[in-house]
Amino acid sequence: MEIHQDNNRLYLSVDAAIYTEAVIFKCLYWYTNTFEVDICQEPATKFNITLTPKAASPEPEWNTIQAKLKQDLIDFKLRQLINNETQNIRELIIAKAFAYYEQETDAEDMNTAT
Amino acid sequence: MMNIPQHTGSKNRKFNDYSFYEKSSNYYLLPFKFHRLPIDKEVIVNEFGDFLIVPTGTVARIVSREILTDDPADVELVRDLISNFFISETPIPSLLDILSTRYRTKKSFLDHFTSLHIFVISLRCEHTCHYCQVSRVTSDKGKYDMSRFHIDKGIEMMMKSPSPHITMEFQGGEALLAFENIVYAVEKAKKAAMQQGKTITFVICTNLALVTDEILDFCHEYKILISTSIDGPAFIHNKNRHKANANSYQLAVEGITNCRNKLGAEHVSALLTTSAISLEHPTEIVDEYVKLGFNNIFLRPISPYGFALKSETKNKYETTRFVEFYKTALDHIIQLNLDGYFIREDYATILLKKMLTPFPVGYVDLQSPAGMLTNVIVFNYDGDIYVSDEARMLAEMGDFTFKVGTLGETGYQDVFYGEKASVLSEAMANESLAGCSECAYQAYCGADPVFNYATQGDIYGYRPSSSFCQRNMSIITHLITLMDSNPRIEKIFRSWITGKN
Repeated sequence: MEIHQDNNRLYLSVDAAIYTEAVIFKCLYWYTNTFEVDICQEPATKFNITLTPKAASPEPEWNTIQAKLKQDLIDFKLRQLINNETQNIRELIIAKAFAYYEQETDAEDMNTAT
Repeated sequence: MMNIPQHTGSKNRKFNDYSFYEKSSNYYLLPFKFHRLPIDKEVIVNEFGDFLIVPTGTVARIVSREILTDDPADVELVRDLISNFFISETPIPSLLDILSTRYRTKKSFLDHFTSLHIFVISLRCEHTCHYCQVSRVTSDKGKYDMSRFHIDKGIEMMMKSPSPHITMEFQGGEALLAFENIVYAVEKAKKAAMQQGKTITFVICTNLALVTDEILDFCHEYKILISTSIDGPAFIHNKNRHKANANSYQLAVEGITNCRNKLGAEHVSALLTTSAISLEHPTEIVDEYVKLGFNNIFLRPISPYGFALKSETKNKYETTRFVEFYKTALDHIIQLNLDGYFIREDYATILLKKMLTPFPVGYVDLQSPAGMLTNVIVFNYDGDIYVSDEARMLAEMGDFTFKVGTLGETGYQDVFYGEKASVLSEAMANESLAGCSECAYQAYCGADPVFNYATQGDIYGYRPSSSFCQRNMSIITHLITLMDSNPRIEKIFRSWITGKN
């Protein structure tokens, strides 16, 4: 991951083989309240991301933001790995939870204006 | 004679087999989420709300299979992860049916559908509370009291609920201003419930200023629960709740005493409405509840609906200020418990029940799918039907987005399963909302499309600036951190759930 800050903007270049589009969007969603977020994809190789503060002042603490962003990307990558690995078992658990559930009585019978 | 085993051939070795020294990381992940805590730890939460607090980096170790199931250093963690359903020793866990049952149990608040039916019996009120969302000071009964026709139709619709246990709650305005209509409604609903084989609970929300012996006799006969308001000591309560030529606090306290004497203490509860002035006095408010003999207090934030928004200087405070208020008050409540006085905080108790028990909690503001329609419906004084109490408050500001029908005109199916309900249902599950879908606290939190709409302009909401999200994230994290910091606090929290000191 390449990252640098210049002219009150933060520029990231993220390897698309490591961080998927979904991971990047889920992570950067949480930054969109304070930053304008631009994401451009270079075909199949990397995402170029720019963060621009929405408010002119105060000056963001870029070092803190860089560290947090790196950590957040890793965390959302972990979440994706867990989701990918457990999606089937999760669906199985939920499907079994509501299988064989008694059907509601005919809803049409209940639709008389009262 | 002792039998000595005979060692032969390759088995007669001096050292263990190489496989003995191999470490095993053969396990399979089960669905879980995680959140970093501010104490160099992280909390992992599974689909059923079970949680473990582990050192930072543990999730990465679990996912990358660095946890070794036969390493003495990891053995306790492995046991915790397996027994709490974070990992499994087999691809399909042998207790799959148990997991499904646990999931089903967590969602069992949906089983019987709508139970709480709020009847806004009158919009009239004799108080002029500065934060009040809806009330009118008027004697115009015809315009602002619910008609007998709408009461009848409301009861008919209530009886169509699939739920065998229904609650009929009378709200205002000041509900007791329409006491004669409450008598009519209670007697009629009681008969209807008996015919339908349902149990019914009655609640009157009142400031108690108008309560009389006659009213209390009726409440006693029908085992009616009284829900009143105490905003803190007199100087806070009276500032929030202005009543011309009267002391609202004094009337409320005397009313509570009378209700307790006549109905029993268990039939009287009080709610706190937090306002800007409250935020300066967390401990005084808690002490007031103790002084009045309560064993619970509900530290509620002020709602962002209705007339409340018009009084911005008094009420528009930041969520951070409320959270600080909440933490200070909670610390004081915990200390009171440590000192031997049992008093629980109700918002924390709702969350703790979700965190520490397998059961759901019937609190409509923290449910997924949302409690609107599925757990609560509101019949307004004019016959309009709203998906929640907050929805009708929004309507008082002229926004009828969440009106789903009119009593006597709209059928049950169209109210609860109609086009509007269908649109709302897309935003009613936090499992599928942006920002919530990955959240570790998903099992403890809920979805609130009306709140999202009122505060952010659409039913889906935007989590990075959501005060609902900020408040719940902060409070849940605080509760987890407190439990981790001191086993005595966890013991107190568990006593709040059981109600036993």
